[in-house]
Amino acid sequence: MTDRRLANLLPPLAFGLAVLMIWELGVRLFSVPAIILPPPSAIIARFATSIPTLAADFRQTIKGVLMGYAIGCASGVAIAILVDRSGFLKRGLLPLGNLVSALPIVGVAPIMVMWFGFDWQSKAAVVVVMTFFPMLVNTVAGLSSAGAMERDLMKTYAADYWQTLMALRLPSALPFLFNALKINTTLAMIGAIVAEFFGTPIVGMGFRISTEVGRLGIDMVWATILVAAVTGSLFYAMVAGVERRVTFWHASYRAEEAS
Amino acid sequence: MKSMFALIGAAAILAAGAAHAADKVTAQMKWVVQAQFAGYYVAKDKGFYKDEGLDVTIKPGGPDTSQAQALAGGGADVVVDWMPEALAAREKGVPMVNIAQPFKRSGLELTCRADSGIKTPADLKGRTLGVWFSGNEYPFLNWMNKLGLKTDGSQGGVKVLKQGYNVDPLIQKQADCISTMTYNEYWQVIDAGYKPEQLVVFKYEDQGVSMLEDGLYVMEGKLKDPAFVDKMARFVKASMKGWEYARAHPDEAVKIVLDNDTTGAQTEHHQTQMLGEITKLTEGSDGRLDKADYERTVKTLLTGGSDPVISKAPTGAYTTAVTDKALGK
Repeated sequence: MTDRRLANLLPPLAFGLAVLMIWELGVRLFSVPAIILPPPSAIIARFATSIPTLAADFRQTIKGVLMGYAIGCASGVAIAILVDRSGFLKRGLLPLGNLVSALPIVGVAPIMVMWFGFDWQSKAAVVVVMTFFPMLVNTVAGLSSAGAMERDLMKTYAADYWQTLMALRLPSALPFLFNALKINTTLAMIGAIVAEFFGTPIVGMGFRISTEVGRLGIDMVWATILVAAVTGSLFYAMVAGVERRVTFWHASYRAEEAS
Repeated sequence: MKSMFALIGAAAILAAGAAHAADKVTAQMKWVVQAQFAGYYVAKDKGFYKDEGLDVTIKPGGPDTSQAQALAGGGADVVVDWMPEALAAREKGVPMVNIAQPFKRSGLELTCRADSGIKTPADLKGRTLGVWFSGNEYPFLNWMNKLGLKTDGSQGGVKVLKQGYNVDPLIQKQADCISTMTYNEYWQVIDAGYKPEQLVVFKYEDQGVSMLEDGLYVMEGKLKDPAFVDKMARFVKASMKGWEYARAHPDEAVKIVLDNDTTGAQTEHHQTQMLGEITKLTEGSDGRLDKADYERTVKTLLTGGSDPVISKAPTGAYTTAVTDKALGK
């Protein structure tokens, strides 16, 4: 690791540790009841003893997250290309997509459970509803980002619509696509976990959080939150890593290298 | 200096004045405004609390409220809760104490579709059952343990779904049986078009695994204050008067409950049905906790087998001090 990367890592690490220490001391000093806020030491202890349960929950929830993410993003891109081809669809579908994305999860989730059953399929359906619109909007914006000069150049090569799309417009849309892919990692996690509040077989991160709150096992709730936070961060980091490789040519990376 | 004295004098007079005002009580219900809590709403609207010198605020509960947290966080002086939850909370470090038990019988039951072929509890093996969580799963887990049916999804057990607070899993045929209350969800199934002959119902009372339901609970520390005990005694006395009135005047009680429902979600038809069933549960209780009922609930909870709800017999989980004061020894 370069010196500069290490120097960048130290402040957040130090700050995070300070927050944890203040939390631990504060809870002990003020005798805060454990069911209101448990100390970090209790959370880590509970985490360590509950790894099989947390692993099973993770396996269940991630099915909904990944399937929903894949279907939502893929359909977003597909519809965006359709919209790009037809101005009529653009005027009709974009406002509709806007409406779908504004639907509150707590309203959509029970309906999805009714339609798709209690297992991960309904959670994937909720994630699709949440991730579809950001992907659609970003891809539509990205497709129009190719420069006029480059598009004229493709015309001089007698490239048809699909050749122009694959060689020029999709690659230049990639930064926008990755923008949406990164946003959608967070939305997918939220969607799957919240959807599990509304009906699941008795395993899953959302299930664990909602039932442990009822059982006053708040340390378990925090342990699950920890797993969700780490998963979400890793997911985001993976997508950001792929983005870095694939869109290395983008101005934002060039600026970083130069500084 | 003079103005200082004037200020202190004014404050003293105000304080003295406040001491003569009614005692404030915040009571947190276990669910939304409905006839399950008719006694309390009746006591408030008919002025029974006022007659005892109490200014009572009744807070409705809902799917996301935790009774133990309401007490621990100071959001309520007294809560309505079920005994298994309260005893589990006691073990988890929230010292809830039962001060009164208006509900003598349990209304929890498992409702199955007759066309699923289930006739006896033994037929539940290998079936998909809807169960409420958030603390309401204890009676079910206990019953399954008694029947020897594992709930973790292993072979020869039952498949458990976390049921939302509705009857959809039964109607959508996603579960063979669901948890219902005799006074609420069962009637939702009937209203959805099922005839009683199309349903097979297992009441927890009949299966010998029933536990005490709606009781009044407070924090143990507060009971050290005699003024608080007196306040609670007056609250219990007026509440039981409210329950008596609700039993004697069901139509008026339903009207009072509907008036208190600001969401407008409740219907007279449903609430009248509910009050009729609730009356079957409250009849025979004057508010005092029956020691035998308590012992039976504790015993059922302790014999939970591999996943007991509580690990040892609770001590000090209930007190007769309040009901003794309210109703006389």
